[in-house]
Amino acid sequence: MKRIFIDPAKCDGCKNCSLACMESHRQDGGTGIYTLDLLDPRNQSRNRILSDGKGGYSPVFCRHCDIPDCAGACMSGALHKNMESGLVEYDAEKCAACYMCVMSCRYGVPAISPDRKHIIKCDFCAHLEEGPACVRACPKKAIEVREV
Amino acid sequence: MERFIIIGAGAAGISAAKTLRILRPEDIITVISIDEKVHSRCMLHKYLSHERDAQRINFVDADFFERNDITHITCEAVTKIDTEAKTVFYGDNYSAPYDKLLIATGSGFFIPPIPHFREAPNVFGFRDLSDALKIDQAFAKGKRVFIVGSGLVGLDAASALCERGAEITIAEMAPRVMPLQTDDYAASIYQKAFEEHGCRFLLGIGASDAVTDKDGNITEVILSTGEHVPCDFIIMAAGVRPRIQLAQDSGIAVERAICTDEHLRTSAVDVYAAGDCTGLSGVWPDAVSQGEAAAENMAGIPTVYEKPYPFKNTSNFFGITMLSVGRLDLTEGAEILVHKTQSEYKKAIVKDGKLTGFLSLGDISNSGLYLYLIKNSIDISGKQNKIFRLSFADFYGINQKNGEFAYNI
Repeated sequence: MKRIFIDPAKCDGCKNCSLACMESHRQDGGTGIYTLDLLDPRNQSRNRILSDGKGGYSPVFCRHCDIPDCAGACMSGALHKNMESGLVEYDAEKCAACYMCVMSCRYGVPAISPDRKHIIKCDFCAHLEEGPACVRACPKKAIEVREV
Repeated sequence: MERFIIIGAGAAGISAAKTLRILRPEDIITVISIDEKVHSRCMLHKYLSHERDAQRINFVDADFFERNDITHITCEAVTKIDTEAKTVFYGDNYSAPYDKLLIATGSGFFIPPIPHFREAPNVFGFRDLSDALKIDQAFAKGKRVFIVGSGLVGLDAASALCERGAEITIAEMAPRVMPLQTDDYAASIYQKAFEEHGCRFLLGIGASDAVTDKDGNITEVILSTGEHVPCDFIIMAAGVRPRIQLAQDSGIAVERAICTDEHLRTSAVDVYAAGDCTGLSGVWPDAVSQGEAAAENMAGIPTVYEKPYPFKNTSNFFGITMLSVGRLDLTEGAEILVHKTQSEYKKAIVKDGKLTGFLSLGDISNSGLYLYLIKNSIDISGKQNKIFRLSFADFYGINQKNGEFAYNI
């Protein structure tokens, strides 16, 4: 089972991870951040770099929790903990947009989609062989994939 | 080898079955349910609106029982539990012995004692797939629908049917729609949206009598104001009651719900209960965690089930999303903070430095934090001024061992 480990002390708040996440999940077929529409809410990042109020940063990434509150709250079967990969997977086809997962994630990770029909959540860049784009984009190695 | 029987295939029953299979790979697990197909009652409106078929409101994979080697006995009601002989009886005199039993019979809709309502064949609940099927059949014959109650269930039914061109009247005893979840402003937003979709609300008004045809079908509802409202059928959404009959008939202690201890044990040895029938909560996530906790106890892993925070819910009608946590009505001696823009409305009730109620209408992303703050009575003194901008960053902590987050409070 893999998890993205975070070292907030190393984070400079550059948000390269957020851009990489947006780029990795864009739906318009384009490539390269120069053509990425940063204002389109459909392109929103699945990670958030927040200020800690003391000049540092608190990176919030989906933990794919061992006991995921989101999946426990899901009444459609759309969210599910894959016991082999350890990932909390999301099947948009099944989702009924009840947003019990949004209510239940204490870290505020799943976001509601602009059309109010789905959620937006980290999928560990399942479509990329090389793994999560955010991790590769971090110049400070503040985030890294580790086995747990 | 132990034999586990679970009565009911809803949120609690299925989560118990799933948990038991993980804990006990070799033992015998049987689920007995009245329902033919596993379905999520929270998605019934998607079935009724014809957006999804029965398979697509199933909340487990189609091969769930097969893959987990769980026997599913369908369309059978358990009629009695012999707690001495540790045997359940179901259907046409079948019986099955158990070592551990879970009652997860859920709750059923309630018909208030209004003349004719309890006998009329065209009065339906909206709890199970079988209810939705009956409504679907009735709707093919007549499109004038009278709904009693404007809670989530009533509005679910209304939203599904108005998309299919129904003529809907909704009677609500309280002065606003979704009285438990909303305040006046939030209610007015939803009311307007439903009215724009052709629904008519009667607020502060109840049904007090009815006119019936020769078959006993209600053709007109008589309101407490004396007005007559013609209708083709009625949907009851005026609350639910835990299904306790089976437990009661089997000599298991019940009050309004099946009595359970902190391990979700009933008064009978090796008989547990989880979900709506325990009366501990009425929302999906709590039923799931009760099912898990009961299963752990049944498998011999002592697990204390912590009583859930009583009130929390979300709704999403016509793309208007809302989250409601805690008590919005208990405002005496409390500070009421409000944030209102064209697209958003948020309200926080703060008492003695603690958040006691939270309402959010609009983009409800990041609101799980507020449930956590309320549920755990976390002191937010000094943070009131940014109550609507709080995030996990304000409580940021990391569990160094496994990399998960932890609240730093």
